Order: sequence, then C-alpha cells, then structure tokens
Amino acid sequence: MKLVIDERRCKGCNLCTMICPYRIFREGTRPNDRGIVIPELDRPERCTNCRLQGLYGRRLCGVCQMICPDQAISWEEEKPYEPRKVVIEF
Amino acid sequence: MTKIEFMQGNTACAEAALAAGCRFFGGYPITPSTEIAEHMARRLPKMDGVFVQMEDEIGSIASVIGASWTGARAMTATSGPGFSLMMENIGYAVMTETPCVIVNIQRGGPSTGQPTMAAQGDMLQCRFGSHGDYGTIALCPASVQEMYDLTVKAFNLADRFRIPVFVMSDEVVGHMRERIEIPDTVTVVPRRPLEKGTLPFTAGADGVPGFPEFGKGYGVHVTGLTHDERGYPEATDPALHAALVERLVRKVEDARHEIADVTLTQPDAEIVFITYGPPTRTVRQVLHDNPEKAFGHLQLRIVWPFPEDVLGAFPHARAFIVPEMNFGQIAREIERHTCVPVKSVPKLGGELHTPDELLAVAEALR
Amino acid sequence: MSFKDWFREDRLPHIFCTGCGNGTVINCTLEAVEEMGWIRDTTVFISGIGCSSRAPGYITTDSLHTTHGRALAFATGVKLANPRLNVVVFTGDGDLAAIGGNHFIHACRRNIDITVVCMNNMIYGMTGGQGSPCTPPGAISTTTPYGMCEPVFDLSALAVTAGANYVARWTSYHVTELTKAIKVGLDTPGFSFIEAMVQCPTAYGRRNKLRQVSDMVTYLKTHALLLQKKQRMEEEGETVPADMFAVGEFVRRDRPAMGVLK
Repeated sequence: MKLVIDERRCKGCNLCTMICPYRIFREGTRPNDRGIVIPELDRPERCTNCRLQGLYGRRLCGVCQMICPDQAISWEEEKPYEPRKVVIEF
Repeated sequence: MTKIEFMQGNTACAEAALAAGCRFFGGYPITPSTEIAEHMARRLPKMDGVFVQMEDEIGSIASVIGASWTGARAMTATSGPGFSLMMENIGYAVMTETPCVIVNIQRGGPSTGQPTMAAQGDMLQCRFGSHGDYGTIALCPASVQEMYDLTVKAFNLADRFRIPVFVMSDEVVGHMRERIEIPDTVTVVPRRPLEKGTLPFTAGADGVPGFPEFGKGYGVHVTGLTHDERGYPEATDPALHAALVERLVRKVEDARHEIADVTLTQPDAEIVFITYGPPTRTVRQVLHDNPEKAFGHLQLRIVWPFPEDVLGAFPHARAFIVPEMNFGQIAREIERHTCVPVKSVPKLGGELHTPDELLAVAEALR
Repeated sequence: MSFKDWFREDRLPHIFCTGCGNGTVINCTLEAVEEMGWIRDTTVFISGIGCSSRAPGYITTDSLHTTHGRALAFATGVKLANPRLNVVVFTGDGDLAAIGGNHFIHACRRNIDITVVCMNNMIYGMTGGQGSPCTPPGAISTTTPYGMCEPVFDLSALAVTAGANYVARWTSYHVTELTKAIKVGLDTPGFSFIEAMVQCPTAYGRRNKLRQVSDMVTYLKTHALLLQKKQRMEEEGETVPADMFAVGEFVRRDRPAMGVLK
C-alpha cells in the first residue's frame, strides 16, 4: 500500500502534520500550480497502514485520512514489485 | 353510492384529505382551523397515518415537506398568523418542487385580528407571500360540499404540478354545518415517479419533473438553493437561475386554463358578479331573488392561477361587480385582464355581504 | 468499502475553507454510518443553512438541504412518515441554537429517533463571522467588535435537560472518539445529539489570535476537558477554568422514543 495526497483536493491546512504519530507528513515548502503548499511525505514506507493494511485486511491507524477535511489522503495499491534485469555496461 | 352527512366545513376538509390518501398531518392549533387538526388527530392513527402536533407553524410546514419527500400525501391547516409564519418554507416547497396541501381557514387580519371572524384577506399573500417569483394554485370553496371536493382536488393538483397547493377557505365555510354528499371513492391521481436514468430535476414537456421519492435509491440532493438538473446547488449562474424560476412560474401559469374551475351563470348578462368563497352564496341569493334582472355570475373555485380567458365568456358585460371580504384584492387582478369596468365591493369586519347591499350596488350601475 | 465511497466524487473538493473542521466531522459521521452497515438507499441526511449544512450535498444518499434552523422539523416529518429511513441531521451552532432552538428542544422532548451532528464552530461562518449563541465570552466577531458580552449556550447540557437519549461532545481533533460517539448515537433509539467542536480559522480564529489552523486545533485540544476529569476536579473542590469545555459522553439512557420502527 502506498500513501498518497490528492493534489486536486488538498487545501494545505497541514492538519495531517499535526496528527500523524510517525510524523510522516511534513509541511511543504513550494506552492503547486494552484498556489497551495501541499505537505510532503517523509519516508511514507514507515506508515503502519501502508505496511499492514493488506495483512490485516482493514484500515489500521488512518487518523490522517479521518482528520483530512478535504478527503485528500488515501492509500493506493502498489504495483507488485517486478524484478528487472539490470544490464551494467562497462 | 354516496353518503349524505351533516358536517362542519373543517371536518369535511379533514375527511376529504383522508379520502384522497393523505397520511401525514403536521399542525399547530389556531382558530378557526383547529377542528381539522383535531379530526386528523382522531382519525389518522387508526388509518396507519401520522399526526404530529409541531412546536409552531414553521415546524408544521417543515414536517409536511419532509413527509412529502418520503412519498406520503401530506397536509397542514392553519389560519392568518400561522400562514404568515409558513411563508419561508412555502418558498422552499416551491423551489424544491415538493407537493403538499396547505389549508388556510382565513380570519380577519392583519396580525392576530379577528380570530373567530371570517375574511379573505390572504388571497394575495398565498400568491405572492414568499420571496421571489413563482406560480401557485389556490382553491376557494364556498360551501361544505366544495370544501370536500376541492380538498381532494388540491391533493391531485399538488402531485400533478409538484407545488404547494392552497385551500383558501375561511371561517364561514370552516365552521358552517351543511348537508354534504360524500362519495364512496374519490379520484386519486398519484405522483409521476422519476424515471430511472433521468436527472432528478429534468422537467418533462409540461415543466414538471418526475418525483424521486426518498428511500427508493435515487440518491437525490434536494436544496432550496438555485440548483441544476442534478439537484446540485449552483447559486451564481444567472442563466440557470433565470431558467429555473421561469419554469417554476410557467409550469403553473401555462396550465391555468387546464386547471381552471369556474361556474358561469347567464353569460349574456350585462351586470356580472364575480366571486370566490362565501360571497358566492350571497350572490346566488341575489340572483335567486331577482330573476327578472338577469344578473350574470362567475364563480371562481380556483383563483390562482387566474383564468383570465373566462372573463371573455361574458361578451355583453358592462360591469363586473366583485364582492370580496377584503379590501379588493382579486378585483385588481380582474381589472388587469379586462376593459370592462370593475366595481370592487369590499367588506371588512368579518361578516358576509347582505343581498341588499349587493343589489344596491348592481342597481346603481344600471 | 470505506467512508470515502459515500462522497459524491463529482462535487469534491467542497466549499469549506482551508483547515475547516467540517470536512473532518463529515468523515467521522460517514465512517460511523459505514460501520453501522447502513445502506445508501435508506439513509437520509438533512441539514439547515450554514457551513455545516452544506455537508449533505457531498453525500451520495437522498439528502435535504432545508431552510435556516428548520432541519429538525423537516427531519421529524421524514422520520415519522417513513420510520424505515435512517435519518441523520447535520447542523451548526447558529442553525441549531439560535434560529432553530425551539425545534431543537422539542425534537429532544419528543425523543424522535434521529441522530444530530452539530458542528459547533462558535461563529456564523458562512455569513462572514458574526457572533453566535456559542461564541465564547470576550471573543471578537464582526457583530461583537468589543468582545462577546453574552454567556454561551451549552448545547449538550440543553439536550440532556430537554430529554435526548444520547448526548456526547468531542472536538474535530478527537476523530476516533468522535466517530465512536456518532456510532453509539446512530445505534441508540431515540434522539441522539453529538456536538463536535470544530475549528473555524477563517471567521473565528483570524479575529481571535488563532489565525493558523494548527493554533485553532491546539486551542480545541487544550481547552477540551474530559468529563470524568472535570467531575473529579469539582468533587475535589478545584476550580475548573471558565474557558474550558467538557468532552465525553453526557448521557445515555432509554426514554421512550418516537419514530422507532416496530
């Protein structure tokens, strides 16, 4: 599972930065094309929900999604990791 | 088979509502309409219906609109002061196209006025009382029998046009006891449901959209804000607002001759009385007592939308006499539609015109 | 399934300002509705006028956005006419306590089987920040430029006194507790009242030194006093600070209710 912020919906209130127990959300630094400073994700792979949602079959912590007043936070299925052959050229 | 009864106007109104399938009544006591609520309180629980006495008239009409959205035929009854309180939510019912029936047993106003005396002073309020433009239907019974028939009709019209329909009666008819013939069954024209796949506020050719009843999976959003065909608020689009309001007015006004319900007497008369509600009774007496004078008479049972074409049914008319128990509210509307001189005969104070008074007015015009 | 499936995706993002707590309360309510296992077809959301009352427009169920203060009267009609429908009312402090106060106490007294979620932002937000019956004493608003001089209405206490079957208060910061409280409210037959204190940084915070969203949420967080703790403080004779409000479950009882499907 992957944590994503919907840039079309986020209004930049930074409530997620206040509530996340792992402090995964950080206040953004640069306004996007709508002039809104979207929070940045700091190593989102630490999120419990990302790691264990599939295992438990339900949403775990999820307080960021609940508190997000703009319904901008969600988890997406990640594409399964595909091993790729890396050709190293000397 | 019909059943002959001796019944009060208010009771007849309640019985008619029940016969028409009304299963929700939200009311608040107010003289002289209280008997309707009392009768409904006795009868509705035994007919699997709901009677609720709300905390005020604002709540009454609100609960009626709410009930109507669940598909129930719903009504409330009130009088002048309560009617004034209802105005905001009547506008809401117009905007959201909610069918409901509002009985106004009119009494003397302004304000608390004459609680136990009759008047017809709310005839313009029922047409223009809420803010904004809209079309409306108002029925005026002149007898207990008409109270019964028109109340049934009010429910059918409300469902047909999806608007609040007013039964504009008054203390005279409401409290009068008269012979009445109650039919075994009455005509009930149910609401046209919304076709699945159609947007909830997409109107048919007649300007009336199908009804998306709550609890049937339509997922409709109903708002008093200016809304588009999906029902979503879109309050800043000038063209959308204009189109919506025009439709709300036209769906009623364009059907005015289909809706019209009048009785014509002596179409070739020169002096013609035009009445609605109780003054009709006085005029009938004048006509009955003076057959040699050949007065004409037009009784309007539906005043709004005003059926102006019917005025042309008196080609020889030299004068229209309009006795009303107000200061001449509908006389102005008649003046607007005809070149024939209109003589308004207002009567305030709560009593009916006497036949002598009307005869004197008619004689003076000869 | 999650609460997100209840939103009308085509209407998002909603009109609420940046950092407004109303969106959070909608999330919590929908999550509770979802956990109850209610279905769209038989759930109806009703609201009056105000910021909070825009909420039903973003939810896919049948919804009624009515006139100012009258949502409970409309809800009474809907619920009594068809008790099979689950009725939830969204309202705000101005809508419920000021213009709709009479409908509120009578709906509590009737104990009609609906759930009311009141988003109390302590201000009239939609009209631009006028003082409401819930504006704290001393707070600045456009109609109280020298500070609010009237006492506040304690809505939860009012609901308890008027006879509601379930009354709770939380803030928009306490999302988990709020969701649980709403769920209990939905589950309780009779009138359930859940008051959610929400931040309004735009109309309230801006004029009261709480301009940042985080400041206003911190204000709610630090001024919320758990009911049990408040009672303990009172028992021990400690003074409870006047600007703090109790949060928690105020009442859960089983008075006879109206509109319950038999």
